[in-house]
Amino acid sequence: MTRTILGLLAAVALAATPATAQTYPSRPIVMIVPFAAGGPTDVIARIVGEHMSRTLGQQIVVENVAGAGGTTGITRGAQATPDGYTIMMGHMGTHGAAPALYPRLRYDPTKDFAPIGLAAGTPILIVARKNFPPKTLQEFVAYVKANAAKINQAHAGVGSVSHTTCTMLDHQLAIKPTQVAYRGTGPALNDLVGGQVDFMCDQIVNLVEQVKAGAIKAYAIATPVRSPALPDLPTTTEAGLPDYQVSAWNAVFAPKGTPGEIVAKLNDALSKALSDAATRKRLLDLGGVIPEGKERTPEYLGDFVKSEVARWTPILKAAGAVAN
Amino acid sequence: MEDLFGNLALGFATALSVQNLLLCFVGCLVGTLIGVLPGVGPIATIAMLLPLTFKVDPTGALIMLAGIYYGAQYGGSTTAILVNIPGEATSVVTVLDGHQMARQGRAGIALGIAAIGSFIAGTVATFVIAALGLPLTRLALLFGPAEYFSLMAMGLAFAVVLARGSVLKAIAMIVVGLLLSTVGTDLETGEERLTFGLDDLSDGVDFAVLAMGIFGFAEILRNLDSPESRDVVGTAIGRLLPSRDDLRRAIFPILRGTGLGAALGILPGNGAVLGPFAAYSLEKKIARDPSRFGRGAIEGIAGPEAANNAGAQTAFIPLLTLGIPPNAVMALMVGAMTIHGIIPGPQVMTKNPALFWGMVASMWIGNLMLLVINLPLIGLWVRLLKVPYRLMFPAILLFCCIGIYSINNNPSDVLFAAFFGLAGYALIKLGYEPAPLLLGYVLGRLMEEKLRQALVLSRGSFLTFVERPVSAGLLLVAVVVLVAAVMPAIRRRREEAFQE
Amino acid sequence: MTQGRGRTVRSPQDLAAGLFLVAVALVALWQGADLPAGSLSQMGPGMLPRALAVLTGICGLAIAIGSLRWDGPALERWSLRGPLFILGAIVIFGLAVRPLGLAVAGPLALAVGALAGGETRLVETLVFAVLLTLFCLGLFVVMLGLPIPIAPWLIGR
Repeated sequence: MTRTILGLLAAVALAATPATAQTYPSRPIVMIVPFAAGGPTDVIARIVGEHMSRTLGQQIVVENVAGAGGTTGITRGAQATPDGYTIMMGHMGTHGAAPALYPRLRYDPTKDFAPIGLAAGTPILIVARKNFPPKTLQEFVAYVKANAAKINQAHAGVGSVSHTTCTMLDHQLAIKPTQVAYRGTGPALNDLVGGQVDFMCDQIVNLVEQVKAGAIKAYAIATPVRSPALPDLPTTTEAGLPDYQVSAWNAVFAPKGTPGEIVAKLNDALSKALSDAATRKRLLDLGGVIPEGKERTPEYLGDFVKSEVARWTPILKAAGAVAN
Repeated sequence: MEDLFGNLALGFATALSVQNLLLCFVGCLVGTLIGVLPGVGPIATIAMLLPLTFKVDPTGALIMLAGIYYGAQYGGSTTAILVNIPGEATSVVTVLDGHQMARQGRAGIALGIAAIGSFIAGTVATFVIAALGLPLTRLALLFGPAEYFSLMAMGLAFAVVLARGSVLKAIAMIVVGLLLSTVGTDLETGEERLTFGLDDLSDGVDFAVLAMGIFGFAEILRNLDSPESRDVVGTAIGRLLPSRDDLRRAIFPILRGTGLGAALGILPGNGAVLGPFAAYSLEKKIARDPSRFGRGAIEGIAGPEAANNAGAQTAFIPLLTLGIPPNAVMALMVGAMTIHGIIPGPQVMTKNPALFWGMVASMWIGNLMLLVINLPLIGLWVRLLKVPYRLMFPAILLFCCIGIYSINNNPSDVLFAAFFGLAGYALIKLGYEPAPLLLGYVLGRLMEEKLRQALVLSRGSFLTFVERPVSAGLLLVAVVVLVAAVMPAIRRRREEAFQE
Repeated sequence: MTQGRGRTVRSPQDLAAGLFLVAVALVALWQGADLPAGSLSQMGPGMLPRALAVLTGICGLAIAIGSLRWDGPALERWSLRGPLFILGAIVIFGLAVRPLGLAVAGPLALAVGALAGGETRLVETLVFAVLLTLFCLGLFVVMLGLPIPIAPWLIGR
């Protein structure tokens, strides 16, 4: 007990020294992950954060603040002191789709953040129950267009990756299948495996093992190149739907006003993590796509967020998918 | 059968390595500890310990995390019995008779039966997983939204049986619980419902916040109102361990609870929460004197505790055989596996047999460890009850506050819990029982989700619930249970009316 | 059970209980007033909350009417001291934990909460508050590593 107290006092004395950009980081950094622990974004944050901790010499502590499609955690992160000790893992939903989905959103993805850099993204698969008649993506497109009234599409709740990406698919195919909402990917996938619903779109990491085992069938992966996790699966470009390019990207942000040197230190640590062989292997095992070269810069991320907001807003508004 | 033994041998060989035994022990110990702390659930703890798993191999990591999970399930019962706070949906029922037993100075017996019941249930469930995991999975896949809805309806019928007093008041509480569960963002349209414009309500009310408010805080308020009744808990401490007679009375409820819990736990939609409720209703229905229930009946702990633990274990089946997590804790397990590059799926069993069977074997070892850890702890827990109440309740208060805060790291949750504390106090004063409300709340979300899914899939036809045989069967059970619960009450009222 | 006989309200507790539910129902109906109900095949967000609110109201009315017909207990005495200090302590904790940290919010909540008991001893309470907070810091922050602010104004976290 006394030792604990002494330890605490020592921690107090150490941490009380003023934080400047030169001595940064002098204490643990909190990384807000706006989703529940265990999900794809959380896993990526932890894998990347683990290596970043080693570079920075201070622990990156993941704090899961889930809620409202990730916007609860990002709102808190945006309002944190911009001293580099609170950063967050943003996401396609929180920094791309959210402005269209949440009219009362209390942050602006393009203005209220100091972008650090893209972390790994996970590509989207189009999958269906295993006895769904179409065999290829071409057949799938023809089939859902012809039978749109009968088709049931599962998604993991308004604002989830599976909802927004599938809405984009519907938008491009100009179909309106019946959407069945589930609370999370697990239950939706369960009913897809059980054949209760017809198809869905979601991140590769959530689906890859079921596809491999033949419990569900996959039509295409929505990236320009095939994934090493599923080498036999054609891309949407190969399979005849080249416009459907979408992945659930994740990126590290700091609150607006974070000093430039701190942003640079964090970006450097992130880039080192993404170049580390062991970390890369972990990310690739998930089916992740790792940004390379100029895609890793803060500037690239800033522009990327602008383009994502511009891309998602009309699609989601047209689909009438607006949360309050 | 030979396969089974071969597999189990492989499993035990893996689980019995020094490192894995140690990890299992640490997991069970930490799990018990955090389970006892109100509010600090397995989710927060496993999330905090995820970084540790970078340093050990995936099998060891999973063994430890699994230990935390079922350790916490067990530890939660301790808090439920000692201070009337259900930390998890599954320990709501344990509160009913467990805390009454504690008040009567039989806390040790209650805790002992919970430990022994959990161990027996865990042993049976481990073998169920090992022997029947795969075929049961296929069965569970037959459950579509319509079947789930009917299952939940059956669960609500059980909730009526939970009540001690007026059946009408119990039904009213269930309805209020269902109503509470609709608070938050609508799943299908994303519209906010009944949130009073508060952002912090957009994801609804957290179970622990509600439970801690209407059970934990309200119980403190009630105790402060009646100083004479609260001291009973402190003064009389009887036996520390169950007698042979206690065991004899508990053994069949334990076995029945194990069966029910194991069966419901397999269902991928978190059917495990129904287990304890179903077990309690069953015991109360077949008891010769149902009026003992809610007043410290040992069967009222034995059955539900066994069901709870059995369900906690068989809930691993959908995860291990389909790769689909049935609840938030299991989703975390998936996260822990993916960090190690093992994405759980239908092939884990064949591709990673050491991991799969090692985990199964470690479950049984973990249950044994829980028994070993917890039987000696009973004396300690019971002694805690001797702390004067004027020190006890502020401590409970602080632990609850920290626990609630730690769920989402959100201080407004603490404020909501205060609100529900007041509401719970009002409910007690108005003669309502909180348990049916909690069950309504727990089942409500899933029930609405499944109702709407089923109706979307059937394009609006209610016939879907009776056309599908499994669903129809479950609804039939619900009706029978409900009629059986309501009839005596109506008869009583009528007799009363005739007497005038 | 005969106390209520002969009076119009035979169970004052049930009457209050019923009216309480009616009030809950009305609040829910008011809050959910502008939610679209949708159709059965595409249920809107408002349908179930409204249906459940109506059911709550019906239950409340039935209980209230029953209180005129069947005997039941009288209303219990409500105390003010307990709820005031206990709930006050919780609210104080909730408001203080992020800006001031556990090191301040803990003892504060404990001290206020202890006042609810009515048999408070000043020195004992203060010592206990400090010791228990230290214990909690050790348990939750050091051992379990939960990200609870300790004393942000002093040590930055």
